[in-house]
Amino acid sequence: MSPPVLEIDDLTMRFGGLTAIDRLSFKVERGAIHGLIGPNGAGKTTTFNVVSGFYKPTGGEVRLRGETISGLRMYEVARRGVVRTFQHSTLFAELTVLENVLIGTHMSFPPNIFAAMAGVDKANRRAARARAEEALDFFGLAGLADELAGDLPHGHQRALGMAVALAARPDVVLLDEPFTGMNPEETRRMMELMVKLRDTGVTILLVEHDMHAIMGLCDRITCMSFGRLLAEGNPQEIRHHPDVIEAYLGGARHVA
Amino acid sequence: MVELLAQTGLNALYAASYTALVAVGLVLIFGVMGVINFAHGELFMLGAYAIVAVYADWNLPYLVAVAVGMAFVGTVGLGMERAFFRPLRDNPLGGLVASIGFLMILQALVSMGFGVRMEHVPPVTQEVIVITERVRLPVFRLAVILAAVVLLAGLWAFLKKTRFGWALRASAQDPEAAALQGISINQTARIAMFIGAALAGVAGALTAPLISVNPHMGHSVIVTAFIVIIVGGIGSLEGAVIVAVAYAFVHTFVTTFFDGVIADIVGLLLLLIVLIVKPTGLFGSTDRA
Amino acid sequence: MAKFAALFGFGAILLALPHALSFSQQEILVFLTINVLLVASYRLLTLTGEWSLGHVVIMGVGAYASALLSKRLGIYVPVAMLLGAVTAAMIALALSFPLFRMKGFYFLIGSFAAGEIIRLLWKRFRDPFGGPKGLKKIDPMPDFDIGIYAFDFFEPVSYYYFALAVVGVSLWVMWRIERSPVGLTFHAVHWQDRLAEASGVNVRAYRTLAFVLASGFAGLSGALLAHYIGTINPNSFDVEQMVFVLTWTIVGGTATFYGPILGCVVLTVLNEIVLREAGFEQMRPLIYGLILILSVLFMPKGLESLVRGAFSGRNARKNKAGETKAME
Repeated sequence: MSPPVLEIDDLTMRFGGLTAIDRLSFKVERGAIHGLIGPNGAGKTTTFNVVSGFYKPTGGEVRLRGETISGLRMYEVARRGVVRTFQHSTLFAELTVLENVLIGTHMSFPPNIFAAMAGVDKANRRAARARAEEALDFFGLAGLADELAGDLPHGHQRALGMAVALAARPDVVLLDEPFTGMNPEETRRMMELMVKLRDTGVTILLVEHDMHAIMGLCDRITCMSFGRLLAEGNPQEIRHHPDVIEAYLGGARHVA
Repeated sequence: MVELLAQTGLNALYAASYTALVAVGLVLIFGVMGVINFAHGELFMLGAYAIVAVYADWNLPYLVAVAVGMAFVGTVGLGMERAFFRPLRDNPLGGLVASIGFLMILQALVSMGFGVRMEHVPPVTQEVIVITERVRLPVFRLAVILAAVVLLAGLWAFLKKTRFGWALRASAQDPEAAALQGISINQTARIAMFIGAALAGVAGALTAPLISVNPHMGHSVIVTAFIVIIVGGIGSLEGAVIVAVAYAFVHTFVTTFFDGVIADIVGLLLLLIVLIVKPTGLFGSTDRA
Repeated sequence: MAKFAALFGFGAILLALPHALSFSQQEILVFLTINVLLVASYRLLTLTGEWSLGHVVIMGVGAYASALLSKRLGIYVPVAMLLGAVTAAMIALALSFPLFRMKGFYFLIGSFAAGEIIRLLWKRFRDPFGGPKGLKKIDPMPDFDIGIYAFDFFEPVSYYYFALAVVGVSLWVMWRIERSPVGLTFHAVHWQDRLAEASGVNVRAYRTLAFVLASGFAGLSGALLAHYIGTINPNSFDVEQMVFVLTWTIVGGTATFYGPILGCVVLTVLNEIVLREAGFEQMRPLIYGLILILSVLFMPKGLESLVRGAFSGRNARKNKAGETKAME
């Protein structure tokens, strides 16, 4: 068995007196679709923010292929192959769809200001454009390349967010609630795309509330509650895990 | 030496008093409206010109001139609130840029009305209190310091003891919650702007007899005020007063024994360092930017 | 082909322009040309979303550096101008370390404070900066002959042609940068710095790059100014000048490359034709202040939006698509 691509090891994140993540550890296998679930406020998005470098953890570390990446800036984490999407439709709304994805190709085809002024970066620009169009094709957005991203319908915006991440050719992609606001048909199509993506060798870690999608999609699931690891296993095991049931139902009872 | 120290100390207190008035007004406006009034130095300048017009030119009593200056500049503040701060409430950067535009307008109007040359205001009183043979305290400076203390104490009482003051503090802390409580944002903005502007105006009026009055005098005032409010924690009235006093002492002593421009540079460097290390300032807690 | 012809025609107009003007109008034309570079460089700075209040002081850094290099060290004036631009860029690089720890209006106040410090240093140190009176008798451009035209820099027309060439090349370079992947990344940093950073963009480095480039061009405009007017002092680069730049930029609108340039040209022409002819020259600060407030209030997208509006409807979508093509 190959070593895990991503290891979260004893991770702790505190904000003042509040402990958002409490000594969390889990591993993500290469080429897996790994789900991160838990009731609201369990610390899933905070975990994403630490892994992607948006926050510096209070304790513990995150390792990518054995190398410590926690504490690096977000762009440095991205350059090592871990690219994330954001909740809601975080896009360059004022730029066109194609331009959005071109930003995604930034790492593969880094712009060079001197080459740009001298006009000798044509090959680079062409390659970036080809890569961007490929990513748009993958998500069925090719016909919308010249639309402004902010004008797209919601489902297309979510897909564009993923196309931007994918254009970077990441090893690991972190998807933050990718199905939010999608209708069942869009969700089904997006699930197919994720499987297709996994089959190209990309490791996917996703946070999601849609249990139906999570159970149908993930190879492995980590469940968090109050910042801690609650349970881990395949969908079948998680579905029947007493602590998970308690956490969700208990939470529901509490709310009710 | 003792005389020089005492004299410099008095000068520092005097500088602290008008600096505190200007800075507190600026902080009050920022706290309630969330905008930096770049034209605040020009409001100070208007207050000084009120003295030139009412006291020096029309020969009315000095205190009448101060009152006129205070009311007039406060009214100008109301006009600013209505004309651009209110429409730009959701755009604090736009409000700041608009106030820079207004600064130019005030400078130009005063230049056209009074000319760009320096105005000298005749002294209000030449009396001095003789402590010893060599330590003599000018009465006017003491009066300015006293007036500033009274005004700041009055403001403090207003903010802590009256319903309007309570509303101002509430909307400075959390404008949305204050609005939900039925506090009118327009109302508190008007009050804050009137008081803030009037304080700048009265500071200008009180200092006019001791400095040369000219249309560009607001520049160094606003630079000092920025240093004070940012080091003091933008949004903290107490911080503004404390830093105004501390800064006035440092600045006055450095100027007297060393060099005025170096004192300015030190102040601005201090401002930059605070912006880098702790943008909320020494006494500030909330960050509204 | 039509585009080439239009460009050629525009160039011919610019070359012929001074011969239709009076001597004093020619002088204004020189200032206008220099200001066009200044305001275009300011827009480059705003591309990443930060607005500085120190840009005119940075222009002054270029002016002081170029003047001193030619005056003290006897460096050939055109070379001194380039070195002045480089100095302004280097000072900006040094300032970027403290300033880019700030955002929004903290950045505005920070850039204002940094600019004031520089101006105070000019005032304080008589040697070499000349104190409050500044530098006088700055070396003029040495005359030269390129065969078809003999530059005699006593004449504003000659200096206009020289400035036109320098500004033209600078604008072309800025245009190339904006229409390149680098320019696209500037826009990305402006609109969504988090997403840009998640895509591997070093946001701080790009903000710094835009700031340093813009400062270099501002420094160049300052050098052009210094060797034309021959005397500069700390007050040549004060808040009033900054208000002019802000007004041109906001009136023109920052959405397009030509917006701020348009703002600068239109306001200067209005100022010269309307105010000067009517004898209201001293009212210039008043009118600029008023225009600044009105445009912040009522024209958030600036003059440029009016020009666009005139061609809207049929062309709007096409324009946007055309820009995309040029940008990738």
